[in-house]
Amino acid sequence: MDRRPSRTAIRLTAAATLVGAVAAASAAPGQGPKPAAPLLAAGAAPPTQHLPGYNPDRNAYFGDLHVHTGLSFDAYIFNVRATPDDAYRFAKGEAIGHARGFKIRLAGGPLDFTAVTDHSEYMGAMREAADPNSPLSKEPIVDGLFSPDPKKIGEAFARVVAASHAGQMPASFSAPEVAGRAWTEVREAAARNYQPGKFTTFVGYEFTSAPDGRNLHRNVIFRSEKTPALPYTARMSANPEDLWRTMDAWRAKGVDVLAIPHNSNGSDGLMFEQTKRDGSPMDRAYAELRMRNEPLVEISQIKGTSEVHPSLSPNDEWANFEIMERYIGSNHPVTKFHGSYVRTALLDGILMREQKGFNPFKMGFISSTDTHNAAPGSAEETNYFSKVGRSDGLPVQRGSVPPDGARTWPADTPDSAHAATPYQAWGASGLAGVWAEQNDRESIFAALRRKETFATSGPRIRVRFFGGYDFPADIATRPDVVRTAYAKGVPMGGDLAPSSGQAPTFFVWAVRDPNSTYLQRAQIVKGWVENGQAREQVFDVACSDNLKLDKTTWRCPDNGASVNLATCEPDRFKGDVELKAVWRDPTFKPNQRAFYYVRVLENPSCRWSTWDALRNGTPPNPTLAKTIMERAWSSPIWYEPKS
Amino acid sequence: MHGLRRALAEPLVQFLLIGAVLFVGLSAVRAAQKPVVRIEAQDLNQLATYWEAQMQRPPNKVELAGIIRDRIDEELLAREALRLGLDKDDMIIRRRLAQKMSFATEDLAAAEEPTEAQLRAYFTQHADRYAAAAHVSFRQVFFSGDRPHGQAEQAARQALGMSGETKRDPSGDPFFFPLAYDGIATRDLERDYGQAFVQALERAPVGEWSGPVMSPYGWHLIEVTSRTPAPPTSFESVRDHVREAWIDERRTQANAEFMQSLRKRYKVIVAGVPEA
Repeated sequence: MDRRPSRTAIRLTAAATLVGAVAAASAAPGQGPKPAAPLLAAGAAPPTQHLPGYNPDRNAYFGDLHVHTGLSFDAYIFNVRATPDDAYRFAKGEAIGHARGFKIRLAGGPLDFTAVTDHSEYMGAMREAADPNSPLSKEPIVDGLFSPDPKKIGEAFARVVAASHAGQMPASFSAPEVAGRAWTEVREAAARNYQPGKFTTFVGYEFTSAPDGRNLHRNVIFRSEKTPALPYTARMSANPEDLWRTMDAWRAKGVDVLAIPHNSNGSDGLMFEQTKRDGSPMDRAYAELRMRNEPLVEISQIKGTSEVHPSLSPNDEWANFEIMERYIGSNHPVTKFHGSYVRTALLDGILMREQKGFNPFKMGFISSTDTHNAAPGSAEETNYFSKVGRSDGLPVQRGSVPPDGARTWPADTPDSAHAATPYQAWGASGLAGVWAEQNDRESIFAALRRKETFATSGPRIRVRFFGGYDFPADIATRPDVVRTAYAKGVPMGGDLAPSSGQAPTFFVWAVRDPNSTYLQRAQIVKGWVENGQAREQVFDVACSDNLKLDKTTWRCPDNGASVNLATCEPDRFKGDVELKAVWRDPTFKPNQRAFYYVRVLENPSCRWSTWDALRNGTPPNPTLAKTIMERAWSSPIWYEPKS
Repeated sequence: MHGLRRALAEPLVQFLLIGAVLFVGLSAVRAAQKPVVRIEAQDLNQLATYWEAQMQRPPNKVELAGIIRDRIDEELLAREALRLGLDKDDMIIRRRLAQKMSFATEDLAAAEEPTEAQLRAYFTQHADRYAAAAHVSFRQVFFSGDRPHGQAEQAARQALGMSGETKRDPSGDPFFFPLAYDGIATRDLERDYGQAFVQALERAPVGEWSGPVMSPYGWHLIEVTSRTPAPPTSFESVRDHVREAWIDERRTQANAEFMQSLRKRYKVIVAGVPEA
């Protein structure tokens, strides 16, 4: 008997996924969508105040809070015609059509929650402009805007972005009745698809601000069906501070809402700049305004991971993960990494707290996809179709198979810094995880608000993280481990009480995704302020395979896991189902501000580009990583000394 | 004069003359019909915008002239290539044309709306697709797959035996997931526990501990406390899903029929394959 009961399951899953993808791609008759899930009869719920699945110790729910449909101007230009309803159907595990004609479906099963977040700028306008009976269709800019030709699509996208930047988009594209129709559709789809206890929807939109092309995008998520009549868009003000003030005003009227910034990696230092947008110094009021409205940051998505950059954290051996070094929507290279990555922002935040008394960057983590295919959760390496419709729907368009049907790669194959399109540098990432009592809007929104959230690069890795001073020594083996951890400590996203000398203890517990590979190591990333300097260190705290942690280097020995690149079959018998650790910070000083977050690493597995190549029978693109180590990040726990 | 008239009466001379007139005339016509390459203003604007989006600034005069020159060169080369038939036997061009054609015909069948009777028939025919979920309540004890070789399953068997003797609940390892579920749809368990585990759960006896059952995490003893079979599904509650599935199937069928009709319009000969 195998010590790993599920090796076979993994292989079967991978094979089934492969078959599924091939079948879906050919859209053969009889290969229909997964059986449609009938709506739950309302009477099926037990007659208690709790929903099915209620858990006082909280459940991990997975979702996507960054999803575009054909209502987004760019998605429509990319030939995406899917609606918010389609997006929710996809999230629930059903099959929908891709802009290239094939069927797409989640291989890993349904999500628990989703927000459709279409661009608020010109929302719904392109769909109306494509209708010859609409007055919008008569605008000169519409001519040639909706071609199925990828080259023309790229030109059309650039033309609209340029016109928008120059303030030359026709006013009719932002007319309240056009936006109103789209916004109504968004709200109604969220209401229609909400199944408390089973699947949660949120009304949302994307505020699309990018001064000089430097990305300041954020997603705005509403707690309930109470929303403003229309979104506040970046056309009204490109300054996020104006958005936050508007959100404050909404909240005063009972419309609860939060915003989640993303793609700081494409902001060229702007997302976490250390001044206000107008260049004036930050103050306490600014920090409070920001944190009241933006408790979270999207740390990873298809357009790259923004946790950490190798140049900022040279001692982090795992920092070089799905790094994307271009502006969003153009090929302009990013040159300012400070201000573009989350770990450095957290460090700047505690340093500002020390020097100025406020912290504008105290953020918890989520990931999401940013799909423009109305495909929430489409961050699966084995089932990847990227995210911009007809522009990157085929492997050859995203640089994973050789051009022009060749069987080998030309010697001058460009690397990601020189490729004509950015798609090969994009990653199949990510998912949002929350710890909530039950699957409904109230519980999940409350989790987002208190930052009891985690992020993954796609797999459904679950991670618990608690910090405290009074955990019992046997906490990791007690049957009531989670209840004890809540009772004696704070969960991810929380704040440790000031220490009277004793170092805090952290409890880390992670479990694998049954559809992905095994876990290799769990780490705690610590950032702190020492003598007025921001410092950081990555501590391995749990090793797989009973390997012994070296407590001088804080590194696990290599577990030797590898991948057979001819089959993408991972090494058997390496890695663990769960990783668990109780860790006392050996470098703790009661007077030093600090934050701690967990990073869990899987064994290596094939990157999406390698899966594409394998299916095509050609070698992987020599300029790309063949394997990656998928990961999960918990929100941080902060430590603040006695004032 | 006489000599000229005689010469003009000669059939050979007549032939040459007519030929000369035709040659001069056709040359003039051909010169007048010299193919025109016209680059429209809209095309130029688009190129300039695209350039600007890539470079983050507008092109200067020299660069603009370069953009126009490149565009003209591209057009002339493409025209000449077409004239010489270079588009024939080119896989990329063939695929692109095929894609354009299939895209153009994809929605041909989209308009048809199914009748009530067709929908009901479809619903009956695919009843299993629309079946509601069965619900189950159960408790479980877990034995981690990270225990050394074979020990998890063995420990689970021992715990089950002990529990049988002592009539007390078995005990195992801490588990990341809930140790008790109350009225959960079995299909909702499938995502996190896998199909084999759910099938075992569906077969397990009610009111007693049984197992061990394998999951992606290790081995489990389970005690099913109650089961609710799936209620019947009404057609009305799933009508929209049925309609979508019906239309989807019809579209797939129409696309297949279109390919069939194309096959009828051509005689297809494949090397080494006997003709049909």
